This record gives sequence, C-alpha cells and structure tokens, in this order.
Amino acid sequence: MGAHRNVTRGYADELRLFGTPLARTGLAALVVVFLVLPTVVQNDFWLSVLIYVGITAIGAIGLNLLTGYCGQISLGHAFFIGAGAYAAARVGGEIGLPLPLWLLAAAAIGAALGGLIGPFTLRLRGHYLAIVTLGLVFIGEHLWRNLTDLTGGNSGTPVTAGASIGPIDFNSLNLFGESYSRNQGWFWLVWGLVALVALLAKNLVRTRPGRALQAVRDRDQAAEVIGVRAGQYKIGAFMLSSAIAAMAGALFGSYQQFVSPDEWNLLLSIQYIAIVIVGGLGTIFGAVLGAIFVGALPALIDRYSEAIPGVQTSVGGEGFISVFALNQALFGLLIVLFLVFEPRGLAGIWLRIKAYFKAWPFSY
Amino acid sequence: MERVNGPLLEFTGVTLRFGGVTALDDVSFEVEPGELFAIIGPNGAGKTSIFNCLNGVYRPQRGTITLDGTSLLGRAPAAIAGLGVARTFQNLGLFAHLTLIENLMLGRHHLMHTGFFSGMFWWGRAKREEIAHRAAVEEIVELLELEPYRRMPAGLLPYGVAKRAELGRALAMEPRLLLLDEPVAGMNLEETEDTARYLLEVRRELGLAMILVEHDMSLVMDLADRVLALDFGVVIATGKPSEVQDDPHVIEAYLGGAA
Repeated sequence: MGAHRNVTRGYADELRLFGTPLARTGLAALVVVFLVLPTVVQNDFWLSVLIYVGITAIGAIGLNLLTGYCGQISLGHAFFIGAGAYAAARVGGEIGLPLPLWLLAAAAIGAALGGLIGPFTLRLRGHYLAIVTLGLVFIGEHLWRNLTDLTGGNSGTPVTAGASIGPIDFNSLNLFGESYSRNQGWFWLVWGLVALVALLAKNLVRTRPGRALQAVRDRDQAAEVIGVRAGQYKIGAFMLSSAIAAMAGALFGSYQQFVSPDEWNLLLSIQYIAIVIVGGLGTIFGAVLGAIFVGALPALIDRYSEAIPGVQTSVGGEGFISVFALNQALFGLLIVLFLVFEPRGLAGIWLRIKAYFKAWPFSY
Repeated sequence: MERVNGPLLEFTGVTLRFGGVTALDDVSFEVEPGELFAIIGPNGAGKTSIFNCLNGVYRPQRGTITLDGTSLLGRAPAAIAGLGVARTFQNLGLFAHLTLIENLMLGRHHLMHTGFFSGMFWWGRAKREEIAHRAAVEEIVELLELEPYRRMPAGLLPYGVAKRAELGRALAMEPRLLLLDEPVAGMNLEETEDTARYLLEVRRELGLAMILVEHDMSLVMDLADRVLALDFGVVIATGKPSEVQDDPHVIEAYLGGAA
C-alpha cells in the first residue's frame, strides 16, 4: 500500500489534522525544537521571554476563539487573566492544590466570571460591547485593589503555587539523572500546555460548536434560522475564552511568583487584541504566531531600552518616551499597519506562501 | 402529533403591524404535504414578512401558525428550525468565511449533538458524528452538482452557485417545509431554468412541501401547484396558477389601477 499512503480513502482521512507528509514533517520538527531548545538556549533571560510568550499564546488562543471565531470584541481580557492569577495564588499557593487542579480551578473561576459577563453580548455588539468590556478592566482594578484578603491589595500578593504534575516537578526538573533549571522546566511545561490548548481549540473550531461560532460571527440571524442558538454560543464563547484567559493568568502568576493589581490594566488587553490581529483573526496558529511576534516585544524593549534612542531608562531620566508608552505606541502601530495592509495577519502571510509553493511553478 | 390527513401548515388570520404600518392584514392559507405553494405580489406586499413570521423572526399581533398541529408562535427561530422549517434568503444567507461544505454541515447543526467539550476532545463521538453527517452532506452535494466548489469559501462562490449552495444548506436540515425566498432573483434565463430543474428534482426525490416567494411569473406558473397573491399585506387571490393569473385584482395590483 506504500504508493497509496497519501491518497484520501474516506472522510476520516480527510479530517486528519496532519494529513500530508509535509505537515507531519513540520510537526516532527516542532517537537524536536520543543524538546531540544531549552538544553541549547540555557540563558535565563531568553528562556523567560519564551515562557512569557507561551503563556501569552495560551491567553491569545482564548481571545481568538471569542473575537476571531465568534466575532465578539472584548477589551476585558486582562480582567480574566488577573482573576486567574489570583485563583492560582489562593487555590495553588494557600490551599496548596497541585498544578492540574489549580489550573482547572482557575479555568472554572474564569468560566464563571465569563458567564456573568456573557449575557451582555446578547444585547450589545461592536463598539458597545467593547465599551462594556472596557469597563470590566476598571471594575477589576478597583476590586483587585480593595479585596485585600484575596489579592493583597495595592502591594500585591506572592503566588506560591507548586508546579508539579504527579512526580514531575517543573520547578526543579530531574529526568534521567539530569537536573534542569526552573526556567528549563517551565519552558517544557508552558509550551506543552500551548500545544494542548491549541489542539483542543483546533478540534473545537472544526466541529459542530466551532462552525456555529463562526456562523454567528458571519450572520447571526441566518444562523438562528438554520437552528443555531446564537445567544447560547455567544455566552459559551465568552465563558471558554475567559476560562482560557484565567489559565494563562494562573500560569503567569505562578511563574512570576508575585502579582500586583497594576499588571491587569488596559494595556494588557490591548496587547492581546494586537496579538490576535497581527497573528490573524480566526486562526489558532495565528494566535501563537502573534504571541511570538508581539508578546516578546515588551520584554525585548525593556531589556534593550538603553540602546533605543529617546527611551527613558528610569523615571525622570533622559529621553522623551517611557518604556510603557513606547509599548503602547508600538501595539497601536502594529494594529493599524496590519489592519490596513494584511487584515489576515501573519497567518494570512503564511497561507499565501504555502499556496505559492503548492502551485509552483505556476503563479496562479 | 403526527397527523396523517390535513394540511402540513396552517397559517390562519395572521396580522403583523410595525407601529402604524400593517405589513400583513388577516392573511390565511394552508400548505398540503408535498405541495409547491407560491406567494406572489409587488414589492412591499408582505411576502418576506410571511417568511419572517413562519421563522419566528417576527411575532404577529394576531392569528395562529401551526406546523402539523404544533404551534410555531412564540418559538425562537432556532427551535422552529428544529421542528423542520428550512429557509433560503432573498439576498444570500450563507456564511461568507466558511467553506461550502462547512455551510452545508451547519445545515445539519440541529441534527447533531457535539458540544463544546466533546468537540474539543475530537476522538470518539465528535469524529464519528462529523463523518456520518459529512456523508449525508455529500448526497446533497451530488444532487445539486456542487462537487467543484466543496472547499471554496462561500463568499467567493459565483452568484448562481451560491444560491444553489444555500438551497443545499436548507436541504441538509432535512426539513418538512422549505421556504424559498426569490430563488432565481438576479439570474439569467439559463440559471433560472437550471434552478427550476433542481427544484423539481428536489421535489421528486425528497417529496418536500415548499413555499416559494418569487417575482418571476413564468417560473411560478410553471412550478407551483397553487398560488397566493398578496398586495399591501392583504390576500387578493388564492388558487391554481391559471386562475390567479387571470384574476382582475391581481392584474390591477401588477399593472396599476388603469382597469
């Protein structure tokens, strides 16, 4: 049967995610990079950038399900990420539950909060929904500063959640007689979770519920008339997106080991919007690409701020723009440039390159 | 609930108002199982409003609508779809960013069960369901000769094909009653003839009851079993196509008050 390996013999074959030899080779290459990278790049700065990028990718997949697939804009993503971080601090740190459980607890809390906000999407759309979810960020900031028992108030709270799955402790990884640093362990943990979340999300969007989300995005009245309960799916998308955001927040908090209310601000929400737009609305791998491209920016700017002309390296220092303001400006610029020149984002560029080589040597 | 005799759809004394405007005024008709029933009338006569009442998009102030003895009034559009009412739209209701196959699969949404969780965990139930319903969709692809367009985003389909794809999506719902809102609007003669052929074939193969809203009089006269003529929300004639065509009220509504 060797010669017929690549022939589609039924719908099951056609529905495979990695159906072509090229796709399988690409997958294998990614697995190798995933396994080998932390042993090659042992530099803590670069590993930590990659870990933050991975956590951001998880959150971005969540937002893309809501905004890219279901068409509901949300500026409240930072609120759910913050809620997840505090869930990790309390459930993982104080109560001391293991990683899988505090991650699921964060997801459950995120979903519950999303379920409370979700019904607003039934009455509002577009700019109006953006304004309501924007309000969420400010209500959140107020809550985080005043629920001192839960969040530590203005001064923040340590997050002492453990990072072990069964016998494997990612904080001090020990495999086959080799011991690895915390950053190496976290790289494998976080990017393993990115792969898992991406796979689950991809499965979701290619089956009945995912098609329904996209139908609601494209034409909600027609969706209703063919039997899709649009309201249910809007709320469902909100809950799922918030659950994933809360998981990203929980990972963020327990990796950083300390969180304060200043982190869940509007800029964080806008960063996520920038990621899904730059990466490509309505694609799963676009969210990951966007997170690599945009998510690494703040860390890199912070690190190399001295080399960038005009950037203040300290409060009241020389230069005309702070690191924070430069980040904001860059996110804004990226959103504008991509919306104008490549609305399909990095994923769109990638698909065009792929289509070119598929048709090569023909140009059509 | 299943009744052997009697009409499939009973639309009785329906009045629909928007503020001071009466879109439908005491409209009544019945559709028999397997019947091709046409609704004609000038622009703004209230034809599409009838569909919107049937679908649950509008809620009439007076009257009753029952499908096989079950009242449709007050039900959500999605619930009415579940009872077996399918529809195509006047200006295309396809989901532009989804492929033709995905659009047709959405027609089967109410027949499927995969939820958020079983969808995420693909292996098992979700996969079996996808494959089973894909096979059903392929039958419609074959019936309507849509094979070359399977993977094309619906927004890129040529107009005539898109209209056919929308018919396909409605058929994928396995409806008992099919509502067709101007299926040949904007088509040339050949496309119109093709569509007529597909409609006849669908009728022969599936034995569906259909309600057809259409401006193309020759199509209506050729295909319909019975015709209802509407003007300013009022029924001005019901009967066989030839009777309605000769009805003085209908001629007046179409040609103006000269008679």
